[in-house]
Amino acid sequence: MLLRLAALASAAILAAGASLFVGGTPLTPHDIVSALLHPVSGGDVATIVWQLRMPRICVAAAVGAELAIAGVLLQGMLRNPLVDPYLTGVSAGAAAAIALAILAGVAAPLAPGIGFAAGLGTAVVVAALARRGGGIDANRLILAGVSLSAFFSAIVALAVVRARSPDAAQQILAWLAGSMAGRGWHDLLLVLPYASAGALLAAVAIPGLNALRIGDLRARTVGLDVGRAQWLILAASSLLAASSVALAGLVGFVGLIVPHIARRVVGSDARALLVACIFTGAALTIAADAVSRTIAAPSEVPIGVLLAFIGVPAFLYLYFHRGLRA
Amino acid sequence: MIDLRDVRLNVAGRELLRDVDACIGGGEFIAILGRNGVGKTTLLRAMNGWHAPAHGAIAVGGDAIHALPARERARRVALVTADEEFTDALRVRDVVAIGRFAHHRWWQWNETASDEDAVERALAAVRLESYGERLFSTLSSGERQRTWIALGLAQATPVLLLDEPTSHLDVRVAHDVLSLLRELARDGKTIVCVLHDLNDAAAYADRIALLGCGRLLAFGAPRDVLRGTLVEEAYGIAMESVETARGIRIFPAG
Repeated sequence: MLLRLAALASAAILAAGASLFVGGTPLTPHDIVSALLHPVSGGDVATIVWQLRMPRICVAAAVGAELAIAGVLLQGMLRNPLVDPYLTGVSAGAAAAIALAILAGVAAPLAPGIGFAAGLGTAVVVAALARRGGGIDANRLILAGVSLSAFFSAIVALAVVRARSPDAAQQILAWLAGSMAGRGWHDLLLVLPYASAGALLAAVAIPGLNALRIGDLRARTVGLDVGRAQWLILAASSLLAASSVALAGLVGFVGLIVPHIARRVVGSDARALLVACIFTGAALTIAADAVSRTIAAPSEVPIGVLLAFIGVPAFLYLYFHRGLRA
Repeated sequence: MIDLRDVRLNVAGRELLRDVDACIGGGEFIAILGRNGVGKTTLLRAMNGWHAPAHGAIAVGGDAIHALPARERARRVALVTADEEFTDALRVRDVVAIGRFAHHRWWQWNETASDEDAVERALAAVRLESYGERLFSTLSSGERQRTWIALGLAQATPVLLLDEPTSHLDVRVAHDVLSLLRELARDGKTIVCVLHDLNDAAAYADRIALLGCGRLLAFGAPRDVLRGTLVEEAYGIAMESVETARGIRIFPAG
């Protein structure tokens, strides 16, 4: 098991290392090693590595890891492999709020914060609607998430149609497609407390998630407070998903497919799965971001679009031909 | 070990059982009998602390079981419920190891040596030592039932409650399961088991709790409880009992 986790960690490190070479200015391995060893040298190469490429790689890694953890938590809680971290309405709520903010002419730097707050707020409303007894009703959660997502999607569509300038519509669409362009250390620092809180809650939820593998009723018999575990999982996944939306807009597919890939490598034990999801989510998103920057350079293909174009066929192939279902 | 004092159980505001008084000692094998919907499972779950009595008290080890925190309850009482589907590809050992949940601190991720010992002992007790690496989904009904019992045993509780552990099992596997429960009782564990087969209850249980007409009709040795009139009152059909070399047996009359 440790070997498999080490292999996934190596994949993430490899993706990050390779991604350092990707960009408008060609850099040699010597340039990069030198810049990494002398971060405050002040040269152009150090600036490119430490102020442009490294923060972008870290943002991609954080987004991938956050979505993968959120996905594995919700899929485990609902015992439904088709669940996505955006099920709780985080993405739709954030998108609607950001679209309205852009229409209202709110300054662009405020958009991530608005998206985070609206996403988390939507998750709270969905959780309140899904509440039954002391816990969460899976069907109500899915119904409330899908309904509110549809409602907020309609608001986004209306905002795009009603946008007075093509620029505003373009900005809204850029958020919907997801991108790490222009993200830096500052953005990472802003979401760090919330992402850390989400990761901590996820770590605490892991033993309960393992018990839930044998069903809610049997998990209760072994001493799990199922209601409390559900709230913990929902809080963790909402914080992580909202943080990822604040960092990079809507990056679909990662939270759905990465838990499947990780499960294939390390099995269904939630402890190994959580660690595997962190590495796999980071590796996939870093690699996808690097490709999104180069495939149509000098312009960028939105990472959400790229992930869907490459990932969906790959996922379907794996699912139907390689026994991913097992 | 388990004390039920003047217990009344309501479900959805409706009174299901009343005036239930019983005292169950350590190492006893108790069978709960009664017709469908009479409240057998509800009574079992109340003994597990999931239903607070509307009146009276249910104590396990001297404490009101429903008032205990979930983990503490699961260290006193293990409940083996009727089968529930799940899709995860779990090995038998993984399933049984989940029974150790209540013995872990809330931040604890890893199993300890004592957890591994408990899992091995539980698998050995149900004679599934060689099945640890098998996928649960590949097991037969009887093997699955034994796995669930092993899960309850891994909890290392003095009391084991079972809800219809022999349903869907053929006569040989049912005999294996009931013999195993009999052995566990002999080793000192308190077994309380909902059964449908009156003769299984007569053959394996020390005492029988017969539910009917919204109350505990009788609680005593099989020979005393499985008399025609009491069973007729509980099930609403005429029954006749016969004495055999292995104890009392009972059948629908005619």
